[in-house]
Amino acid sequence: MNVFQNFKLFAPILLFISVFCNASTIDPPIKSVSFYEYDYDYDCDLCGCTTGSGSFGFGTLNNANFVGVRYINQHFESKNGIFSNSPVSEETFNTYQLWAQIPINNSFYFSANLPYQDLSRKIDGTNENINGIGDANIIGWFKLPFYKKPANDVMESMEKENSGHSLQFGLGIKLPTGKFEEALVDRVNPGFQVGTGSVDGIFSLGYSFAGNTFGVNTLLSYYLKTENKNEYKFGNQFSYSTKFYTAFPIKKTMLMPFLGVSGDVFNKIEQYGETINDTDGSILNSSIGTELVVNRCIFGVNYTLPISQNLFGGNVTSKNRLSLYFNFAL
Amino acid sequence: MKILKISFALLICAIVSSCSNDDDNTEDLSGQTGELIIKFDNGVGDQDFIFDTSYSKSNNETYKLSTLKYLVSNITLTDTEGNEYMYPSEKNVFIISEANANNAGEIYVTLEDVDAADYTSISFGVGIDQGRYALGADGQGDFLTTAEAEGMMWSWATGYRFTRIDGTYSSSTVTDEALNIHMGSVGTSIDNYREVTLSLPNTVLIREDKSPQIHVVADIAKLFDGTTSVSFDDGYAQVHVDETTTGVIANNAADMFSVHHVHNE
Repeated sequence: MNVFQNFKLFAPILLFISVFCNASTIDPPIKSVSFYEYDYDYDCDLCGCTTGSGSFGFGTLNNANFVGVRYINQHFESKNGIFSNSPVSEETFNTYQLWAQIPINNSFYFSANLPYQDLSRKIDGTNENINGIGDANIIGWFKLPFYKKPANDVMESMEKENSGHSLQFGLGIKLPTGKFEEALVDRVNPGFQVGTGSVDGIFSLGYSFAGNTFGVNTLLSYYLKTENKNEYKFGNQFSYSTKFYTAFPIKKTMLMPFLGVSGDVFNKIEQYGETINDTDGSILNSSIGTELVVNRCIFGVNYTLPISQNLFGGNVTSKNRLSLYFNFAL
Repeated sequence: MKILKISFALLICAIVSSCSNDDDNTEDLSGQTGELIIKFDNGVGDQDFIFDTSYSKSNNETYKLSTLKYLVSNITLTDTEGNEYMYPSEKNVFIISEANANNAGEIYVTLEDVDAADYTSISFGVGIDQGRYALGADGQGDFLTTAEAEGMMWSWATGYRFTRIDGTYSSSTVTDEALNIHMGSVGTSIDNYREVTLSLPNTVLIREDKSPQIHVVADIAKLFDGTTSVSFDDGYAQVHVDETTTGVIANNAADMFSVHHVHNE
């Protein structure tokens, strides 16, 4: 029901955007079927929650730079008690993000992300809700493209030919713009927080390949988390994701479906300098989705289902995630 | 490019500075007190205990309970330095009754004005020790009335029931036969008081502005299949004053507790 309510909210916005896009006379960024660089946006959804995170980091498939909005809907089930027959709490996390990827020059760009979190759960028939601005992050990226070896007889070739392969190095920071509530620590899902309350470091390595018939994007990220003022430290996290995509031109638009896998590995949470049992875990997800490119507008949908998981000693189960986004190419 | 270099430098600075250690381990706790909540949570194996639910045990016997109560006293905490803090004796006796559990099946024992310290283990007694009983009826304070009201007394002469477990059991020979485990020290004739010491998985920080919790699990299955496995058909359906059977149940009861986790907040 929540999903539909949110969708209802989202639909008029999408409608407005689509009108706006059609009215746009800006040249489309895609001039041929060949692939442009597919760069990452960044989604490190550390909070709201720690179990739903940077492995979800995909943006537009073919635009290096954009500004946009994204909506993410996630479902979890958490055991509210210590026994196998303890009651289960149903959690719904809604995240609304402003995000952007802004170029600095040919080699450098940065990405930024500001979320608004709206988290709710049902325990013993009562509903709890927390909402507010979440944790913002900003990452500086360096892109290293690889060029085809020039043939020996054209040593002084003017233009190096792009091989389609590139690496991206990211160094970023997550800011405690969201509120961390210590009272919520006494809950089975420690991700039921709008923010971690900590300044965290983000280290990323990305690999992209854009060929003539398909593209690949892989992103590995490490989150170095620090202790917040409540002497609470979420576990360091390793996130990975890879995605294969292709494209079909349809009239003036481009449909770009993709398939991928992603995952996270979490270390244990520390409080007052001690690790807490059953707060580590891992999850492996599959994802499917598509983008539709209309002129400079990119509409995206991404649906994620867990393949395997063991979060917080098996006490938290991730159900599914749905993400809808609209980006405007710069 | 310059702007970029500067922004990267700032970023690194921010990350590094946020990692700096500003712990002040010389916190003065003298005179400070705080609250401690001990949550008792009765279970049967990995199941939460529920009244009138049939549970299997050894010897192909099953049991259903309608009353589940036990006495806990002399709660003592040991800090990181090895110092012991004992909750004031006159208040340090509690009836843990499943009937008083919250929605999550937890029975709260709240200790007020506990000395602030970092505690690493908890110990308590199951039942009433001979010293407390020797204080006489007047020396029991309000607890005597409470215990009588809760059915945790026989008479003053025979003293407290340390456990009050009522229900029925079924075996290969009988169906829904009465089950009553009323174990105690029977005055001073037996000493069935047992002490339990449990180390805490995380340090519990008692502070003025905090309300930490220790989540203690009592595995009721161990009462019958613990240190010693007992058979209801073989004399353990009615446990009252017998020296042997009460002693076996007392040992099993002391062995059924564990600390699942702690919360510091």
